[in-house]
Amino acid sequence: MKIPLKYNWRSLLERKSTTVLTVLSIAFVVLVFIGVLSLATGLEKAFSASGDPRNVLVLRDGARTETESSISMENFRTLAAMPQVERGPAGEPLASGELIILQIFPRKDGSESNVVVRGVQPAAKLVRPTFKIKEGRDFEPGKGEVIVGSNIASRFPSLALGQERSIGQVKFRVVGIFEAGGGGSESEVWGALEDIGDSFKRTGFVSSARVRTSSSQSVQAVMEAVKGDQRMRVAAKPETLYYEEQTDQNTALFKNLGVALAVLMGFGACFAAANTMYAQVARRGREIGTLRALGFRRRTILLAFMIEAAVLGLLGGIVGALLSLPLNGINAGTTNFLTFSEIAFQLSTSPGVMLAGILIAVATGVVGGFPPAVAAARQPISSALREA
Amino acid sequence: MKKLVWRNLIRNPMRTFLTIASVGLALFILCLLAALLKAMEGTEGTAANRMVVRHAVSLTFTLPESYGEKLRRLDHVLEVTTLNWYQGQYIDDKPENFFPRFSSEPDTLFEVFDDNLIPPDQLQAFKDDRAGFVAGKTLADKYGWKLGDQITIKGDIYPVDVQLNMVGIFENPKVRSSERQIFFQRRYLEEAMNNPGAVGTYWLKVDSPASVPAVVRAAEAMFANSDAPVRAETEEAFALSFLEMLGNVRLLLGSIGLAIVVSILFITANTMAMAARDRTREVAVLRTLGFRTGQVTGLVLGESVLVAVLGALFGTTLAWLVVKIAAGALADFGVYGNLAVGPGLFGVALAAGGLIGFLSGLLPAVGAARTDIVDGLRKVA
Repeated sequence: MKIPLKYNWRSLLERKSTTVLTVLSIAFVVLVFIGVLSLATGLEKAFSASGDPRNVLVLRDGARTETESSISMENFRTLAAMPQVERGPAGEPLASGELIILQIFPRKDGSESNVVVRGVQPAAKLVRPTFKIKEGRDFEPGKGEVIVGSNIASRFPSLALGQERSIGQVKFRVVGIFEAGGGGSESEVWGALEDIGDSFKRTGFVSSARVRTSSSQSVQAVMEAVKGDQRMRVAAKPETLYYEEQTDQNTALFKNLGVALAVLMGFGACFAAANTMYAQVARRGREIGTLRALGFRRRTILLAFMIEAAVLGLLGGIVGALLSLPLNGINAGTTNFLTFSEIAFQLSTSPGVMLAGILIAVATGVVGGFPPAVAAARQPISSALREA
Repeated sequence: MKKLVWRNLIRNPMRTFLTIASVGLALFILCLLAALLKAMEGTEGTAANRMVVRHAVSLTFTLPESYGEKLRRLDHVLEVTTLNWYQGQYIDDKPENFFPRFSSEPDTLFEVFDDNLIPPDQLQAFKDDRAGFVAGKTLADKYGWKLGDQITIKGDIYPVDVQLNMVGIFENPKVRSSERQIFFQRRYLEEAMNNPGAVGTYWLKVDSPASVPAVVRAAEAMFANSDAPVRAETEEAFALSFLEMLGNVRLLLGSIGLAIVVSILFITANTMAMAARDRTREVAVLRTLGFRTGQVTGLVLGESVLVAVLGALFGTTLAWLVVKIAAGALADFGVYGNLAVGPGLFGVALAAGGLIGFLSGLLPAVGAARTDIVDGLRKVA
């Protein structure tokens, strides 16, 4: 016969303060785990929103990032003329040559960071279907105007809408704020390719080229065509892959840290659970004796205590997961150390991570509760009943 | 009294052990996190009389070669050298094979970075061999490089590969993490790139820390209206600017540390409360025997503080050991700088342990002292 679950539940409620403290200590472990991983998840989201499966990114052979790369205008024109490249509404090739420059700007809190200033042609918006002006208007070439990504506009005071500021050697005015589906370009400043190039004295080349293909299948065809042309000394890869590589390198630290902290703190929480359950067993000696005398088997008692510990863990897990919810959407900005530039993102708690957190909590309860449960089951009836 | 505290501690060894272990573990994590954040600062080994001059726009812009001579002629400047961040890839692009690779001037490099020590004959060899390179001892040991060895580094920022001969090994006894880099001749890179005359950063040694502000003003003013305006700052400010780039992620990691402290507080408070509750009857007996309220409070508090401090001692020592053993391995995973649990951190962690013990023992202690003697005596279990 089984001991009804109600018994466990009642026992937990009976010693409220102990239960609450144990649940809270397990909850904090879960909170730390979900919290650190929400950094990784947020960054992942920002990067994965940056790539489009139909785009091919072309860089100088050997360059790992857009920041390091350069492609001559001549080579860019050769790329744009390839037949595999998709055409726009006016028959123009959907190939976007972009100039990437880093400039230091101060954040709201006074600290500084390298922000990407991207010189673009009209095609840049066509190869990014998620691009849209959120506030103000688009820039007009030749008029000293730039637009700023929504993630940066709010965090860098000198890049807010309407601000005027020297970018390179020329003063530019921020005339619009744009969105790009939550991707990395929302952390950038965009202006006309010629304007930006002139201001920084970097003309006659672009850093990278984005080429749009008719479908995600023809991505391969474009890559082979690029590889076939030895003279250009460029390398092509799917845009999604380019951002995936950056994701891995930038989130590895958070992922490792999150898991390491969860494991270490999990041990601590195990101790807490064990302490609590030991105290329960010690105090309920008489109860256990009575249960045994009524005919409940040792195994049943073991199970009952294990269930109680698991419930303790589960409660901790749920509380921790709930506590982590407000983390969602917290604005964070850090440096993508591969491109050496600011990347803004929002903390994000994924359901998978939360579930993992809750599982860790239950495991904590079970592992911590096992030795006390064994101790409970082992007690001889006579001595248990005799206890004060 | 003392004996009573001790006796109480060991009468439930399992509970005491579990509490000490959980406090220890938490402070262990805390120490590691603090050491990590400190190492990220990268300010260790910076000299107060060393300055950096770089392009005002950002580090991706280079300065003209001609600036070197102009900077050297400024008042208070003793010596000027250059560093160009070559980056590149050695063996592969795995993080464990990453280390800083700079091109520089063999004639002045070791004058400006005078805490890097190199034997005179090896320095001469570095000056003589256009394709020579010098490596820090830690790095040379890691790869087993010997004088005369040749290595190839594949270019990424620079579209040229470099083939270098090992000509010297330098040591930095104060900051071993500075030994995780190599230097080769800027002239070699210049020639491979068809002489663009580009310098990444100028490094200045000035006569005293007090003259830094004057040199900063003079250097920035000198190039203010040129095509390549500069930013001048101390080496420390330069190092901190990298930390700033991390943004509020650093703050977030700091709050995690706080969450950990709070969670230990719960764990310890929980145990102390349990310990006190188990003893209600005993406390009543003690008070019947004539122990005063204050003494009873002290008894419970003392136990709690003792447990927590023992835990803290255990945790910090473990952290110190782990850092000592694993710093090298961690460096391979991109944790640079000097990872260390210093005496300062040790003290803070111990104090935190004591405070945790005090706070978590306070309520049960007061509770134990307040309980009416008669009620206490009547209480069963």
